[in-house]
Amino acid sequence: MFQRILIANRGEIALRVIRSAREMGIECVAVYSDFDQRALHTRMAHVAVPLGGNLPSESYLVADKIIAAAKKTGAQAIHPGYGFLSENAKFARAVKDAGLVWIGPPPEAIEAMGDKIKSRQRMKAAGVPVVPGLTEPVADARAALEAAKTIGYPIAIKAAAGGGGKGIRIVKDAASMESAFRTASGEAKASFGDGRVYLERYLDRPRHIEVQLLFDQHGNGVHYGVRECSIQRRHQKLLEECPSVVIDDATRDAMGAVALKAGQAVGYQNAGTVEFLWSPNGKTKPNGTPDGSFYFLEMNTRLQVEHPVTEMVTGSDLVREQIRIAAGEPLGYDQRAIQWRGWAIEVRLNAEDPFNQFLPSTGTIHNLRMPGGPWVRLDLGLYRNMEVGVNYDPMLAKLIVWGADRAQAIQRMRRAIMELNIGGVRTSAPAALAVLEDERFQKGDFDTHFLEKLDLGAQRADYDELVAAAAAIYRHRIAHRRTLSTSAADREAWLARGRTSLTTHVAHSTKHAGDRA
Amino acid sequence: MKYFVKVNGRDHEVELVERLGKLVVAVDGKPLDVSYEEVDDLGQVVLLREGRSYALSIEGDEQRVQVTLAGHFHEIVLENERERAAHAADRAQSKGGGIVTAIMPGVVVELLVQPGVQVTKGAPLLILSAMKMQNEIAAPVDGVVKDVFVAPGQAVAAGAKLLAITVVDGG
Repeated sequence: MFQRILIANRGEIALRVIRSAREMGIECVAVYSDFDQRALHTRMAHVAVPLGGNLPSESYLVADKIIAAAKKTGAQAIHPGYGFLSENAKFARAVKDAGLVWIGPPPEAIEAMGDKIKSRQRMKAAGVPVVPGLTEPVADARAALEAAKTIGYPIAIKAAAGGGGKGIRIVKDAASMESAFRTASGEAKASFGDGRVYLERYLDRPRHIEVQLLFDQHGNGVHYGVRECSIQRRHQKLLEECPSVVIDDATRDAMGAVALKAGQAVGYQNAGTVEFLWSPNGKTKPNGTPDGSFYFLEMNTRLQVEHPVTEMVTGSDLVREQIRIAAGEPLGYDQRAIQWRGWAIEVRLNAEDPFNQFLPSTGTIHNLRMPGGPWVRLDLGLYRNMEVGVNYDPMLAKLIVWGADRAQAIQRMRRAIMELNIGGVRTSAPAALAVLEDERFQKGDFDTHFLEKLDLGAQRADYDELVAAAAAIYRHRIAHRRTLSTSAADREAWLARGRTSLTTHVAHSTKHAGDRA
Repeated sequence: MKYFVKVNGRDHEVELVERLGKLVVAVDGKPLDVSYEEVDDLGQVVLLREGRSYALSIEGDEQRVQVTLAGHFHEIVLENERERAAHAADRAQSKGGGIVTAIMPGVVVELLVQPGVQVTKGAPLLILSAMKMQNEIAAPVDGVVKDVFVAPGQAVAAGAKLLAITVVDGG
């Protein structure tokens, strides 16, 4: 086992990795940008190495600096977290070439799955079901319009080098193709330096269901079941569950088997997630579960943001497993060892304004009130006085709860959100609460468009009077304080006079010191 | 002192009168027996009403206040009588047009209009990039672009002026 590892990330995921590593008796090296000098991950690691710069491109994305930091501090392995360099095959290779262990999948597997177009071709060949669409990128809006005729609307335009919801646009009809193509391609170029996009059929009432996988270096692989990630906006997930109301045990095992096949096809190792789109066929199975089909969407060759819901339901520590696998240990168990108990929900707490199109919100965090109590877990990277800027991912924390069943988990999450306060920035928490309070969500009747269509403005008004009174009193107090406090000009004048008289006095007493003695 | 308080877009009137050092509160003409206690100076507040306590989180300035109560977020706009009159006069003059500001900090990626161009409500005016996402900023009203204050590549702060739109009277 390693004595010391470096975590090439920031925020909650850096903390998440540090926590598991510490529990395993492994020392942690953090790296940080100038902006993150006071960040939690910088403080909680055993060793912290400055990378300099404020932008990700000057710090967390600079492979050479990170590898040099590992070498300098004697770290034996690098955990990339998610985002940043986690799915960068070149970086994975550079880590290995430097004689370090990469806590992640083989670079070849990252490459094979990283190109969304190539991976679809490969999966199709391996017999994995894929969504109807093109397996080649489209050159321009006109070619896209032409191809759309055979695929059929609605169509999803996706970045070939994509991920994280960047460079994706949904086109409902031919009229909106040109504008959608332009923004998708532009965003893809800006985010990935690769403007290539491809088209696929946008499925009716789809749900985003994914399968967690683990493969060791000895040919053993297991799936950890499914996660339901359909509550999303602009293809960024907001709330995730484990398991899913539409996936019964038989479908879970079928999806798990297909996911394992997908992973094996690219020689996968370590933790990975196969994302599927699931679309209902309108029928219901004898056991009451809706019937439908699933299609391979993509494989994420890293630890997912939402991995904690799987951990809560299976009772495992996936980061620990990642580190064990990277150190060469065999899994030591097979599929029968994976048991699912109860229900878990995660809510992402992003710095964004759900009442204003989820646009980013910036500011300084203050007024923190954290939830707690039984079966409540908070994976966070935020702290009082933290500055939230635009240069980094807006996710501040993840709130995770476990319940004996789905209804209990929903109630517990509502309770936990009610306890939570994050002041200084707007957050996605009220949107998550609106989802949890929605009857359709509670019944399990939703798809990936649910959040976009949810009327967040239709807030309940039963506390309006109280809230209006509180706001007026708040303002009254601000005004009151202002009249009571001396103005800045007054204070400065007073201080200036104070200094003058003090200076005079000292000079005076020095002069007459002898007289008094 | 009378305040016009908009809570998530709904209008209320709050009257505050200081009597013998105590604050007497009336909301929409009805007296409300509340006591307001600050827990800390960060925004945690306890409001007591008829034997029930409400733990609120309050932040903001004199005109815009955000209140969170049991996880529910309330966006509040406050005006006193003088401010209300002034704002009404402003609105009458601009007829819904005026300055389009950046709702978030970002970088102007592309300008889609120039001064003099006629736009319809919802039409894209420019593309603003923030947190790696590209966002189309749409025209709030039908009108004519009067002025453009930014150029492609320019970084803007939240609230920065982007462009001005004049509403033309229909004829």
